[in-house]
Amino acid sequence: MFRICDITGFKVDLQSEKFIRLNAVMAVVSLLLAITAAILLVFTRYQPVHLLDAEWYYRLTTFHGLNALIYWIVFFEIAGLYFGSTVVLNQKFCSPTLGWVTFLLMVGGMVLSNVMVLMGKADVMLTSYVPLKAHPLYYLGIILFAVGALIGVGLFFANIVNAKRDGNVGETLPLFTYGLMTAAILAVITLASGAIIYIPTFLWSLGLIDSVDPAVYKLIWWGLGHSSQQINVAAMVSIWYLVTFLALGGTSINERVSRTAFFLYILFISLASAHHLLTDPATSSAWKVWNTSYAMYLAVLASMIHAFAVPSSIESAQRRWGFNKGLFEWLSKAPWSNPAFAACVLACIGFGFIGGTTGVIFGMEQTNIIVHNTIAIPGHFKGTVVIGTTLTFMGITYYLIPLIFRRKIVAFKLAQLQPWMFFFGVAILSVSMIALGQLGVPHRHWDSTFSGGPFTHEFNPSVDFFWTLMMLGGTLAFLAALIWVLQVVVSVFFGPKVNGPEDMQLPLSPMAPAAKEHKGYEAPGTLILTLLFLATFAVLFFVNWKWLAATWWVK
Amino acid sequence: MTLIAPTEGWFKKKVSKDERMWIIISFVVCIFLFAWMVLWHVFGRQNPSNTTYKTNPIEFAQLHDEYVKRNMVGMDNGIPIVKPETGSDVILMAQMWRWSPVLILKKDEWYNIHISSKDLVHGFSLQPSNMNFQVYPDYDYVLKFKPTVAGEAKVLCNEFCGIGHHTMIGKILVIENDADLAKYGYNNLSAPPARTGKGTAEEDISGWSEEQLIKGGEMVYNLKGCMACHKTDGTSEIGPAFNSIYGSKVKVKEDGNAKEIVIDDDYITTSIREPQKQIVVGFEKTPMAQMNLTDNEIKQVISYIKSIK
Repeated sequence: MFRICDITGFKVDLQSEKFIRLNAVMAVVSLLLAITAAILLVFTRYQPVHLLDAEWYYRLTTFHGLNALIYWIVFFEIAGLYFGSTVVLNQKFCSPTLGWVTFLLMVGGMVLSNVMVLMGKADVMLTSYVPLKAHPLYYLGIILFAVGALIGVGLFFANIVNAKRDGNVGETLPLFTYGLMTAAILAVITLASGAIIYIPTFLWSLGLIDSVDPAVYKLIWWGLGHSSQQINVAAMVSIWYLVTFLALGGTSINERVSRTAFFLYILFISLASAHHLLTDPATSSAWKVWNTSYAMYLAVLASMIHAFAVPSSIESAQRRWGFNKGLFEWLSKAPWSNPAFAACVLACIGFGFIGGTTGVIFGMEQTNIIVHNTIAIPGHFKGTVVIGTTLTFMGITYYLIPLIFRRKIVAFKLAQLQPWMFFFGVAILSVSMIALGQLGVPHRHWDSTFSGGPFTHEFNPSVDFFWTLMMLGGTLAFLAALIWVLQVVVSVFFGPKVNGPEDMQLPLSPMAPAAKEHKGYEAPGTLILTLLFLATFAVLFFVNWKWLAATWWVK
Repeated sequence: MTLIAPTEGWFKKKVSKDERMWIIISFVVCIFLFAWMVLWHVFGRQNPSNTTYKTNPIEFAQLHDEYVKRNMVGMDNGIPIVKPETGSDVILMAQMWRWSPVLILKKDEWYNIHISSKDLVHGFSLQPSNMNFQVYPDYDYVLKFKPTVAGEAKVLCNEFCGIGHHTMIGKILVIENDADLAKYGYNNLSAPPARTGKGTAEEDISGWSEEQLIKGGEMVYNLKGCMACHKTDGTSEIGPAFNSIYGSKVKVKEDGNAKEIVIDDDYITTSIREPQKQIVVGFEKTPMAQMNLTDNEIKQVISYIKSIK
């Protein structure tokens, strides 16, 4: 059964809409769990408060990682995949029965593993490096969730195949769905890695096999852990293109380039497990250098291409709407009051300047020595998956509420503020964690005064400043996330119904006028911005190598 | 288009001048970054080692025990101190929750430091220099280090390894010459507490006097890292303190049921052989790891525990 959307004109399959809603709701629940744990962790590591005891600190660190990095992200992505493969293509959901199987497996797995963690049966961190052992039901929960997600990805492919058969796809997929297809292919690789490592670990926890090699475990686990973040990148970039289209009627200035970049992700990005093994025994430098660089940085090249293609799609559309003055009028006159647009642009900036720069530098074989396992690494995660993916998902939700949930956004003014609050909160949190890590502060560590140890260590005194900053940034980010959760919940369950285009609070732009023939520069402002980004990267690059060069010699 | 099929001719559209410029610059940057990592192996001084040996926790713990027995020059807060020859192979063992031994190294000299774990995955984090490496059980990672800064360095653990993770901190002292030792409180390093026997776990100890057994037990206590959890000053943060514990009555949990027992030879033997069987009430959250002690070693430890008041 379809309804015709009176706002966009798309045919929306009601079954599909239901599954999109269900998965989105579970995503929001997961995020709420994740941020509740996060604020308690921030105030534990902030030594003047030191809130939780050691046991609960480690327990909630596990809980936070699981809900933030896996459940929030994957539930949202499954909702996104359903959206991209049905609504966007005017296509029917292929199998509601399997849709339910997927959903119930994922929810069951999520509940099971979370309960095991909270019962204290799985204080093993998200990574659960063997021989650290959790209760078998913890691993089983994750396996059920992953199997569910894998079926969900399969439904995405089936929908696309059906759409092709039904003539709902022309020469090629729309760019948004093409990007999601990239994410889905990466998801298969990722979830397969997860299965390869979690199944033997589950059997080991049951006592059916003797041992799991710790180095092999870590190698394959990060095939899940890192590659899953690459699914996020592909999904996030797809949403950036989508929001440019919705808010400005713009698209990539050269779709062949954007699509090639997505294709490069598929080819090379799954090598990134190596990022986590750079200072480990067992693999050689040749292996490390080749894999950590995604085969000579060809996946980084893909991200660099998007770094130009996304802002240039905004610039090009804006210039065609007449904001043509100087280099940056397109930016100053951009629709900043549209929270989805603001969220995506801020996410793009944060992801590039914080997550991207640190990602490349920390992921080089030798510079990894000065950050490995320090708090700079979760700091980098804040600069990628939080300020990038999470903020992007928050932003697109402002479109999903009226279009999919058919409700108006309650307290819209607050929604316009929220992306900025979240951006600054996470940026401060992330940068202060990175600074702390570069001063040697470890991650996953309950007490940086080492109470009860045979010796003690005083970090550089400037850590006090960064701890305070981290606490403030964390609090701001927490409040912003909480506002978002409350706003989504209140709007979806109690908001006024949307009855037609007049109830849309976020603008839906018509297509930007066609470009006049022009030679040469199509997005000069973007070029300046990307060069500025490169300059920032260069400075951080040389500072880090300078720090590395000051350490002991090692070979 | 983002939501609809792209416009006619999208595949043949020429890449604009600025986008092409950016892609070329990016590609050059990518190749530069790749080459930089390779060249750092030639010209740089900090490169993760390529030398790994397969081992296992029992074998590495034996290597550690023998290495420390042979070379220890004193104790620092319950951890043996070793002052290795320059250029020699050095053993550094990670275990829940200590780094052993404490090392005294000479500035600007090379050492081959073998690092492995006796139990879980740990993180070697050298501060304040800030160098970080992963430590596994089953793999002996040989890092060839040359300290370039004199002074006291600490080794933190930066990978989660259980509830006492934050107490896991070791020490590496870097000196320019032996006269420096005084500056760091190492001026009168006492001889090791005991060098009884040949120092192998299997040797015949049937003829040993009680005094020899106590000294031997103290050695085992130091080598095995009992001290990380069982103090001798009456403080019981992670595990029960050892002083005056022998002969006392304590409540333990066995299969979930609490009962009272007297700490005697049998109880100590059981709690070393099967640490999870009878856990003293109050310490259920910090269960002890399997320590793999021989009968000889257990006998000596019992004598030692008896002797501390």
